[in-house]
Amino acid sequence: FKDDLSASPQLFTPMSPYDVDLPIQTTEDAFGSQLNQPKDLSTDFSVDLSFLPDITQDDKEQNLSEDGYEKQKELDGSISRNEDGGIFVDESSLSYPGATQPSPEASGTCHPLIPMTPMTPVTPASESSGIVPQLQNIVSTVNLACKLDLKNIALHARNAEYNPKRFAAVIMRIREPRTTALIFSSGKMVCTGAKSEEQSRLAARKYARVVQKLGFPAKFLDFKIQNMVGSCDVRFPIRLEGLVLTHQQFSSYEPELFPGLIYRMVKPRIVLLIFVSGKVVLTGAKERSQIYEAFENIYPILKGFKKPS
Amino acid sequence: EVAYSQSTGQKEQLSRCLKRGIRRVQDLCKVLQLPALFEETAVSYVQRALQHPSFHLLSLEKKELLGGCCVFVTCRQHNWPLTMGTICSLLYAKQELFATVFLSLQKELELSVPALSLADLVKSHLNSFQLFQPTANIPAQFGEDKEKVVARTLQIVELASETWLVTGRHPVPIITAAAFLAWQSLHPPARLSCTLSRFCKLAGVDLPPPAHLRLKELLEILLRMASQLVWLRMFNLDKKTVVKHIGDLLQHRLVLLKKAFCLHDGEEQQPMATGEGSPPAAQDGDCPLEGQQQREDSPRPLLPPCLLNPRKRLRTAAPRASDSAITGDEPISDSEIEQYLRGPEEVRAFRKAKLW
Repeated sequence: FKDDLSASPQLFTPMSPYDVDLPIQTTEDAFGSQLNQPKDLSTDFSVDLSFLPDITQDDKEQNLSEDGYEKQKELDGSISRNEDGGIFVDESSLSYPGATQPSPEASGTCHPLIPMTPMTPVTPASESSGIVPQLQNIVSTVNLACKLDLKNIALHARNAEYNPKRFAAVIMRIREPRTTALIFSSGKMVCTGAKSEEQSRLAARKYARVVQKLGFPAKFLDFKIQNMVGSCDVRFPIRLEGLVLTHQQFSSYEPELFPGLIYRMVKPRIVLLIFVSGKVVLTGAKERSQIYEAFENIYPILKGFKKPS
Repeated sequence: EVAYSQSTGQKEQLSRCLKRGIRRVQDLCKVLQLPALFEETAVSYVQRALQHPSFHLLSLEKKELLGGCCVFVTCRQHNWPLTMGTICSLLYAKQELFATVFLSLQKELELSVPALSLADLVKSHLNSFQLFQPTANIPAQFGEDKEKVVARTLQIVELASETWLVTGRHPVPIITAAAFLAWQSLHPPARLSCTLSRFCKLAGVDLPPPAHLRLKELLEILLRMASQLVWLRMFNLDKKTVVKHIGDLLQHRLVLLKKAFCLHDGEEQQPMATGEGSPPAAQDGDCPLEGQQQREDSPRPLLPPCLLNPRKRLRTAAPRASDSAITGDEPISDSEIEQYLRGPEEVRAFRKAKLW
């Protein structure tokens, strides 16, 4: 396993998903996703119900269905997995957290049933973990919309690397924001290493300017955030063997391969790497709200594995 | 073999990949002496996989591994202790490649693969140790009854699991280290002088590199437990001499673990404002982690080794206030961009040097 999460050249490699070292699909699954968003259910459960009084265990059990798979996000994760272990029903997590973290960056995309989108993630203090994942890496793409002579760029730019035998793109770096870009002869560009969406956009613009100054009619089309990586620390050790038992459908824990547990959350569609030390890496997000939401979902589940067995 | 005109054409309908996959499954099941049911299940997985659109584009190199992967998954689903290492060596496959095929298989076919049972692995792994079979080349008093070693190894592995030495680590080195300690402790006088590497050589097994570290960690745990046994305190035990008392320590391990380590009482830490953590403070009030200067017998927190000995890492700086103010639309000065461009003399020199 490569643990270099900052580069994702797999976006532009031939479409064999099995050349990806990390089990993360940053592109849309061209082969049919098992993670179909349950369209009918999402309308029922994505309303902010934090104004309701705390739900008791009995109410929750009525809501459990056989297929806990799709309802994983809607109900408190630790409760819906109860059929196996039932050891970690935590009193404090019985109240229904706000079903979705309102996106702090509302910018136009709006979820039809959330009445309003506050600017910062709002959760009732008693339920939130109090831990905010820190963004570590943003991967974005942009179309410079002109053919590029990579040899020429590598000759005239100080911050460029070009080894056509190894990789068919120029690797360019700038100091501020500290990032790396992959620039292809088609005019497409990937920008990695930024710590925020805005920094990623600023960096991409700077690379475009470099290319312009080298004499190419570079534009700045279709800038898009493709992947966001965040990390945080829950501050207690985690029994990964226990977690993989009770959350088998979502977890892959293979200590022969990798020391962490790979948790594929369905809603939001985020992959989490969970380590025995309590450190958690979250990746696969297109918006930062997905990272925050995924962490708030996993935190109560992890708390259940805090005590040594 | 039947004449084509008389055959039902069933075999002809199978693709070459499928035939090879099935053949590979059959061979592996024979070599590993697996129950007949396993072969059926594994073959069905191969068929399902090859029918899945995502596997059509799999490289041939990876398709070769599909049969072995399906056998591996089947074994794990039946708690048959087969390690990835074993399967890879049987397939002459690189573990990295096998890993990608395995993870894809697990994801695309939505297979639930239970965790490897360490207890079963102990039994099957120790089956291959030659010290537990009566042969002529074993030095005096080195041969040992297999059942005794298995029983004690299981207890030591369980102890390792309880003390966070197992989670996230390769399973086989732990078993090797545990087996070594178990064997030594069953007849210390003759065996204390034998090293781990010699033990593995005599047993006819590989010595995996992490085993030395696992051994060290196990001994540290045992020494701490020994410090809580009243009649052992006066002996001033060290890594060698503690082995003599492993039997006693295992017998009283529940009590000793409680006394030797501060177990969590479930109190949550003060969550930090930033996501990144500094090394965690002690979980309980009465066992402070004062770096490495702890008395041997004072209780230390029961934590995974990665938390007790955090490797020095470059901490990523907390986001600066100026960074969060970035909008992405800032004007970009010419001078900033020009610093990245080569001047004409530089280009000339570069051209000359690289014959560009």
